[in-house]
Amino acid sequence: MSSEGRPALPVLTNRVRISRRGWFLVAAAIIALLPFVIQDSYWRTNLIVCAINIMLAIGLDFILGYAGQLNLGHSAFYGIGAYASTLLIMKLGVPFWMAFVLGMVLSSMSGMALSIFAVRLRGHYLAIASLGFAVIVHQVLLNWISLTQGPLGIYAIKPPPDIALPGLPIISFGSTANMFYLVASFAFLFYLLLDQLVRSPIGETLTAIREDEISASSFGINCTAWKVFAFGIGSALAGAAGAFYASFVGTLVPDAFIITESFTILAMVIVGGMGTLIGPVWGAILLTMLPELLRGFGDLRLVFYGAALTLVVLFMPGGIVQAAQIFRARLGRLATATDAGMRR
Amino acid sequence: MIASGSAAAAQARPTAAGVFFYGAGLHKRFGGVQAVRDISLSIPRGGVFAIIGPNGAGKSTLLNLMSGLYQPDAGRMIFDGVDLVGLPAHKRVRLGLARTFQKLRLFKQLSVLGNVIAASHIHHDIPAWQYVVHGAAFGRDHRRCRAQAIKLLDFVGLEGRASVHAASLAYGEQRMLELARALATSPRLLMLDEPAAGLNAAEVERLLERIRLLREHGMTIVVVEHNMDLVMEISDRVLVMDYGQHLFEGTPAEVQANPSVIAAYLGATT
Repeated sequence: MSSEGRPALPVLTNRVRISRRGWFLVAAAIIALLPFVIQDSYWRTNLIVCAINIMLAIGLDFILGYAGQLNLGHSAFYGIGAYASTLLIMKLGVPFWMAFVLGMVLSSMSGMALSIFAVRLRGHYLAIASLGFAVIVHQVLLNWISLTQGPLGIYAIKPPPDIALPGLPIISFGSTANMFYLVASFAFLFYLLLDQLVRSPIGETLTAIREDEISASSFGINCTAWKVFAFGIGSALAGAAGAFYASFVGTLVPDAFIITESFTILAMVIVGGMGTLIGPVWGAILLTMLPELLRGFGDLRLVFYGAALTLVVLFMPGGIVQAAQIFRARLGRLATATDAGMRR
Repeated sequence: MIASGSAAAAQARPTAAGVFFYGAGLHKRFGGVQAVRDISLSIPRGGVFAIIGPNGAGKSTLLNLMSGLYQPDAGRMIFDGVDLVGLPAHKRVRLGLARTFQKLRLFKQLSVLGNVIAASHIHHDIPAWQYVVHGAAFGRDHRRCRAQAIKLLDFVGLEGRASVHAASLAYGEQRMLELARALATSPRLLMLDEPAAGLNAAEVERLLERIRLLREHGMTIVVVEHNMDLVMEISDRVLVMDYGQHLFEGTPAEVQANPSVIAAYLGATT
């Protein structure tokens, strides 16, 4: 169609185009309103879990979708963040926020260490190595009983300390609404951070490594250093998610960080759309909420869940993001067609 | 790019006897195959230096040794006074060595412009935190990089295709993008691995014109090529390889007249 016809198009294609800042405002507004809309504590809990899963999924997406490193060890970074922050608080009396940062740092360092050791590995080999790492971390959590209390777990973990700002009522994280605001704000902040990174030339650098390492290195890209960087960032986010998980749930058992958790996070990234940042957010929301929504079906829900996952991978390899793009394109074509019809 | 190329040439350090790239006694073995055997070469500053030879002569392996994709089993390499042996490929790029690949290695999920921007990786000079806050310095760096990339796309004739996915370019266009990406590193020594492979006559002509322009602006160019007409037309010096070994080196005219070269190409025994 000719370009001069564009401004005259009615309704569907003449939708208001919302800028990137506009979308961020919309997201912030949704986060602000959600605890008012959802009062039920069970669903509020799910919202918090959802925000934690978003952190995990975008972190993994940075490693897998952008830098192209098939990392199956994300559950390990998650667990290291959770256990490190909790043990620092309970055994050494470190204040929560310092423990939170240290948990992130430790988790990030373990991610970087893994990528340094696995530097010559890619594809399936890296997948196996990172899977091995996840198994080792799980086994350590399970068997280092003097430190982690093994399968008995750690109990009575306190929520983050109250925040008392002058002139404002004390904010207590014993409330699910406040806890949701806290975790969701961090998820939002991390999203913004990664968004800035991938829209800078770093995005092109990481994509170049994903596409062709030999080619990337012939443009002066130090592939090893950038892979370590991607692992460092992605696993730091997993560490933050772990610290929030521990302080929210209040108990820690090694089985929360078993390798299947890696696959769940991976599924979120794939179902949402790998290599886009918004995709894993949708994937995390869907795969957190879907099993809860299907609870009415009893054990059948797992069948639905599994079938839904398989169908997505079979028919929508680009995930939700790709499906949305196709849908929008069809809608656009439909609008153009009706427009042409109306003019005639 | 043209301007920066000549500026780089002007500030280059003087080297003994005008040798820009010097290699001596280079060996590379893959399992039982001696791909490169005792190759020595001296590439003068400026001009086009061609490496030719029958299939499997070790030309591409030699280029891979020069660009740092492989490390030699033995031998020395000095580029503009810097010892290259042991230096990985990504560090050699910063010295001014760039290359293209015979088998295209584009970043297919990136746009044409994105490919060139990814290739200008070494030219960013802003503090790390700018990548997070996207401040004024980031904006300047971004605009400069983009403008430079568009200038390069213009140079290779892809200015109208900047926002297209690299994978959707025609084959000839992909070859030109490969050239633009190598130029994005602002090389002083540009290595082209069979740049004319798969191009039609008109495209080869356009490529030749670009190579000549680059040479006029002081860039040193190494071409590994099968296309004899192209080699004879643009080269100042030609190195002929056969079975990984040095067979002959001279001007294009000398090469064409040399009986051992002719024998190697026609498969006759001398």
